[in-house]
Amino acid sequence: MSGPVFVGIDVGSSATKCVVIDDRFSVLGSHVVASGFDYAESAESALSRALAESGASRNDIASCVSTGYGRQHVDIADRNVTEISCHARGVREWSPEVRNIIDIGGQDTKVIRLNERGQMADYRMNAKCAAGTGTFLESIAARLGVPLKEIDALAMTSTCGTVVNSYCTVFAGTEVIERIKGGQPREDISMGIFRSIASRVFEMMPAHDGVCGVTGGVVAHCRAMVRALEEALDTMVYLPPQPQHAGAFGAALLALEFSKTEGSQPSHVARG
Amino acid sequence: MPATAKRIEIAAQKQLRPIVRDYFLNLDAAASDPARRVAWCTSIGPCEILTALGFEVYFPENHGALLGARKVSHEYIPRAVAAGYCAESCSYMTSDIGSALAGFSPLTEAFGIAGPPKPDLLVYSTNQCREVQDWWGFFGRRHEVPVLGITPPTHLGDVTAEHISFVRGELARLIDIIETHFGMKLNENHLTEVVARSSRASTLWNQILDTARVRPATFTFFDGLFHMSPVILMRGSQTAIDYYEVLLAEMSMRVRDGVGAVPNERYRVYWEGMPIWPKLREMSDKFFDLRAVVAASTYCNSWAFERFDGGDPLEWMAKTSIAIFINRDERFKQEFLVDMFDRFDIDGAIFHNARTCPNNTNSRFGMAQRLRDEQDRPILVFDGDLSDLRFFSTAQTMTNIEAFIEQLEERKR
Repeated sequence: MSGPVFVGIDVGSSATKCVVIDDRFSVLGSHVVASGFDYAESAESALSRALAESGASRNDIASCVSTGYGRQHVDIADRNVTEISCHARGVREWSPEVRNIIDIGGQDTKVIRLNERGQMADYRMNAKCAAGTGTFLESIAARLGVPLKEIDALAMTSTCGTVVNSYCTVFAGTEVIERIKGGQPREDISMGIFRSIASRVFEMMPAHDGVCGVTGGVVAHCRAMVRALEEALDTMVYLPPQPQHAGAFGAALLALEFSKTEGSQPSHVARG
Repeated sequence: MPATAKRIEIAAQKQLRPIVRDYFLNLDAAASDPARRVAWCTSIGPCEILTALGFEVYFPENHGALLGARKVSHEYIPRAVAAGYCAESCSYMTSDIGSALAGFSPLTEAFGIAGPPKPDLLVYSTNQCREVQDWWGFFGRRHEVPVLGITPPTHLGDVTAEHISFVRGELARLIDIIETHFGMKLNENHLTEVVARSSRASTLWNQILDTARVRPATFTFFDGLFHMSPVILMRGSQTAIDYYEVLLAEMSMRVRDGVGAVPNERYRVYWEGMPIWPKLREMSDKFFDLRAVVAASTYCNSWAFERFDGGDPLEWMAKTSIAIFINRDERFKQEFLVDMFDRFDIDGAIFHNARTCPNNTNSRFGMAQRLRDEQDRPILVFDGDLSDLRFFSTAQTMTNIEAFIEQLEERKR
C-alpha cells in the first residue's frame, strides 16, 4: 500500500463497521463484526480486517473518525462525530440527489432530511422504544423461532397487503400469534411485520419528497424491508452499494476532509 | 472544549443557599407552631393572597423538582402508581405522592427537617395544568384540610377584560371562603404591598434573564433553574428582591466586562419545555463542552410577570395568572417563541417532549414543524421527562444534541 488512508469506524449497538478509503474517496476495504460486550475490542477487530482487505497498515492511517453509539470507545480515532452527520455525509457522496435518508439500525432508526445543498435540514430518531428498529424485527423472529433470513424470504413471496398494526414489540408479537391462529399465511404475516416498521418510519419523516436513500443492517439484509418502504413511500428508494457501511463510509470521508482542513476543524468534535 | 476552559461561578449563589435554607426552616417552625398557619400553593397560584393573610406558603411542585434533581423520583413514582395514579400522569405529582407514602423527603438531608410542612390549607390554580387539583386532593384527604382553587380560562389568545374580571371574581371568592373558614380578615393595603414586592422580584428576575441577550450570554438556562427559587418560593418577600438586586448587579457587571457563562461561546440555543431535573448537570456539561449556551428558555421566563404599577392588586394577580405562556393558545405561543429567538439571537431551538407533562410540551401539535418551516433556524425535538428517567435515554439524547450542534456548525461554515 502506498499513500495515506482514511478510516471510519461506526460502533453501532448490534454491529461495528469499518471502512478504509484513499485520498480519492475510493473504498479500499471494509468489514463488519458484531459489537458484542466490548466496543473497543470490536472496533479493533473491524479495523484490523478492513486494513488487511485494503492492503494497508496502521502506519498508513492519516486520520480516523469514529461514530455510532460506541464512538467514544475507539482509541485510535482522532475525532468522533455523530452517526447522524456521518450517514448524511456517506449517502450524499454515493448519491448527491438524495433528500431523505432512512437508516434502520439495531437500536434506533434515524430519518435525516437534507437540503438542496446537501446539508442536514432536519433529523429525527425513534423514541425510547424498539418500534421501527431492527430490534423489533429480531425480537419477533426470535419469538417465532424462525431465522430472520427465512422471514425475509417468506415475505418476498407474499402477494397480500397484510399489515401488522402494532408498533410495540410485545403487542406485535401477540398480534402475529393471533394471525397465525386465525390461519393467515405465514408469508403474508412475515410481510406484515416489515410493513409495521415501514409505517413507523413513514410517520417519522418530516417530508416525503425527493429521492430517499435507505441504509443500515436491516435494509442490507432484508429485501422485504426495502419493498415495504417502497410501498409506504409509494416510490422506489435508493439502496447504496454498502447500505450497512454508510455511517462508517461517511466517517472515513469526514476523516479525509478534516485532515485536509487541519487547523480549522470545528473544535466541538471531541478527540478520541 | 479546551481543557483550560472553566466555568465562572456566579458569586451571588453563595447567598442563595442560606436564603433557601431559612425559607424551609421557617416553614418547618410555622408548621409546629399552633399560632401560625401554613398553606400549600401552586407555583403560579394566588400566593400573594395567602402571604397577605399571614400564611407561610409552601410549593409542592418545588418538592417534585427536588425529588427529580436528587435523582430519586423513580424510587417513589411506583408507590403512587400502585395507589392508582397513572404512570404517565405528571411525574412531579406521582413522585411527590409516592415520596409522601414512603415517608421520604429530600428536605431532610438538605435542611434537617422531617419533610414538607403540614398544611392548614391547600390552594391551587389550574392556570398551568389540571393535574394539580388531584395532586392537592390527595394531600387534602391525607391531612384533612380544605382544598380550594381557582379555574381560570385556558388556551387564551388575547387576554380580555372579561377574562380578567372572571378570574378576579374567583380570587375574591377565594378570599371570602378563607376569611370565613379561618376567621381572618384580609388587609387590602397589605395585599397591595405583597403584590408590589412580588412584581418587583419578578421584574428583577426578568431583567436578569435579559442580560443573556448579549454575546457572550451572561447566564444560561441551567443557571436560571438554580437561581429561580426566590421568585417561586419567596415571591412577595423583600428577601427575593434583595437577592435579585445582588444577582442583577453581578450579571450587569458581566455584560460590561464581556464575561460569558460559556467561554468561547459559539452557538446560542433556546430551550422550550420542562427541564430534565435528574440530568441537569450532564446536560449543562454537554452544552458547555460543545461551546453552546442555552441563552433563553420558556420555563425560566414563566415567572417574568408584567410590572405592577399600583391600582387593584387582585386585577394584577388575575391578569398575570392567565397571561402566562402556558395558559395561551398556539398562535400566541408561536409568536412569543419567534420573538424570543430574535431577542436572544438564537441559532437553534430544542423542544423537550416531556412524556408526563403535556401542558408544558409544545411539540405535540405541529409547532416545532411550523417554526422549522417558517424560521431559518434548526429545531430539535427530543423525548424525555421532567423527572421520570424511564422515559429518557441518555445516549440517544446526547447523540441528538451533538448532531444538533453539528447541524449548527455546518450552517456556520
